[in-house]
Amino acid sequence: MKLLTKTSLNFISASVMFFLVGSIVMYFSVRNIVAEDLQNRLLEQQNEFFNTASQNKLEDLASEVIFIEKYQKELEHSFSDTVLIVNKKYMLYRKLQFSYLHNEQHYKVSILQLQSQSDKLFKKIVIMNVGFAMLFFLIVFFVNRQSIKNSLKVFYSTINKLEDFQVNKAQELTLDTAEVDEVKKLNVVFERMSEQIRKDFEAQKEYTENVAHELQTPLAIISSKADELMQADNLTKEQMEQLALLLETTNRLSKINQSLIFLTKIDNRFYTEGATFSLNELIKEKLVLFETAIEDKNLKLALDLKDATHIYMDPYLAETLVVNLLKNAIVHNEKGGELSIKLENKCLIITNSGTALTFSESDIFKRFSRSEHSKKSLGIGLSIVKRICELYGFNIEYRFQENHIFAIKFSN
Amino acid sequence: MPNNHNILVVEDEWELAKSTLAFLSENGFSPFHAKDLKTARKLLKKEKFTAVLLDLGLPDGDGMSLIKEIKNFKEEIGLIIISAKDALEKKVQGLELGADDYLTKPFFFSELNARLKSVIRRLNLEVNQELACNEITLFPEQMKVLVHAKELELTAKEFGLLLYFVSNQNRVLSKTTLGEFMSSTYVDYGFTDDMVYTHIKNLKKKLAESNCKDYIKNVYGVGYKFTVA
Repeated sequence: MKLLTKTSLNFISASVMFFLVGSIVMYFSVRNIVAEDLQNRLLEQQNEFFNTASQNKLEDLASEVIFIEKYQKELEHSFSDTVLIVNKKYMLYRKLQFSYLHNEQHYKVSILQLQSQSDKLFKKIVIMNVGFAMLFFLIVFFVNRQSIKNSLKVFYSTINKLEDFQVNKAQELTLDTAEVDEVKKLNVVFERMSEQIRKDFEAQKEYTENVAHELQTPLAIISSKADELMQADNLTKEQMEQLALLLETTNRLSKINQSLIFLTKIDNRFYTEGATFSLNELIKEKLVLFETAIEDKNLKLALDLKDATHIYMDPYLAETLVVNLLKNAIVHNEKGGELSIKLENKCLIITNSGTALTFSESDIFKRFSRSEHSKKSLGIGLSIVKRICELYGFNIEYRFQENHIFAIKFSN
Repeated sequence: MPNNHNILVVEDEWELAKSTLAFLSENGFSPFHAKDLKTARKLLKKEKFTAVLLDLGLPDGDGMSLIKEIKNFKEEIGLIIISAKDALEKKVQGLELGADDYLTKPFFFSELNARLKSVIRRLNLEVNQELACNEITLFPEQMKVLVHAKELELTAKEFGLLLYFVSNQNRVLSKTTLGEFMSSTYVDYGFTDDMVYTHIKNLKKKLAESNCKDYIKNVYGVGYKFTVA
């Protein structure tokens, strides 16, 4: 629920409550006031009656609204409601009854006041009050709504900017200046936080690069010293073989290191350039680079790349994805084996022959899982593939049915 | 055979610098060492250099800043970046700033040697472009090779291998070294160390057919050596 809707609803429900209670209270108090007023008027008439009765004949005082009749005893004065039929219409009157002693004779005097007039007044007062209250309520409601909207304008722009904020983009987070203290504070906190995140991100990026530097340099020293040693003239075959192995292993170590750094970079969302490719073109282009290897292994190549399959990815990652998949299918293939690459319905299926895995199928994308017969492989290529797929939300699956089958669904 | 080429090695890691300097001296270059940017700037003013090998992560700053200075100072100085950072953007940035080549640590000296010679060849057009070794004459720009003054047909990869051997005479080149060279130079992802053998076998056969002496010797099965007496 939007903040504005929420505050408006709160306002409406609170207002309706107060309005109801207020109306009820007002109704009764106004009714009381009107009734009291009517009673006061009756009492005034009574006074008038007393004043005039002593000077005039009692019978002359009787009228449409004053009834006088003899009564045998004195009675308490009392108010009551009574109905008269005037012109065949029922009219509600308020009646004041009291005793009057005239020439030793008790009289019962009743003074009547028409209630409908007071009722009209009462209705007018109530309607006016309710009307004003309603009008007031509406005005307050809209003014309040508009003012909240205005004061939250910066708040909403902050939300929008935060949504667009990407830590790996060079652009800094700059928020609008707010008038409201709370929003101002919020923006300051956000700006400080984003700055901190950016700094941490930069530091981590730098750290990754520094690790590379720190590890590659000692490797370069080992490699260069082994290379130098190899040039000596008086080495035995064993010594030479050991040095060659040292060189090979150092080279391998450096490659593992580079691959791990690459994985870290993917995790840190280092590669975020975007471009649209035709996957079939990319595959054809990269296949050329494996020509020697395909020839060397005498692989039977079956291509079905009619479907262009446009994908939106970072160019470098797309290239890496394709190269690693092809490399895996070729390196772990057998001499004279088969390699099939098929693109269909945004799905890439690569099938290659080769002996079954010596480890669990579910571990195929894990780092450093490799079969016993392929010790030379680094065991990182497929985990890089998996990571790239995860980054873009592509679904990748592996299964073994006589052949190794990799399927990637390029839809997210 | 001294070649009068002064090479400046900017490298803060002493052990690596030491090996590099020794290797360069052995190959006839006159190497100088600078352990940081400050020393490098001083040496650049004092001496005339043919090429600079520049490490990027230096104690007093990023080597990138030196690229422009060197190229502004003298266009013909060859500049090879040697960095542990294999980051693509660093490579692009370095080459855009004017570097002639980029080598990632760890590197092989034979690779450095080949690249250094290639950069020097490219930048000094007045010097003859051909590379001669007894009866073999190579024209790297045209990818042409003459044996006994007769042209020999080689594939691109065979030519690359021969050029690499001639650039690194009398040096043991392990299969790893050659494999790395081949896969990086020809962007051949499927090139394994084992394929080196096939290519060298073919190259040796072609050379023998044109009555070339057998210079490429197998060393204990771990590598090869282009032996010139």
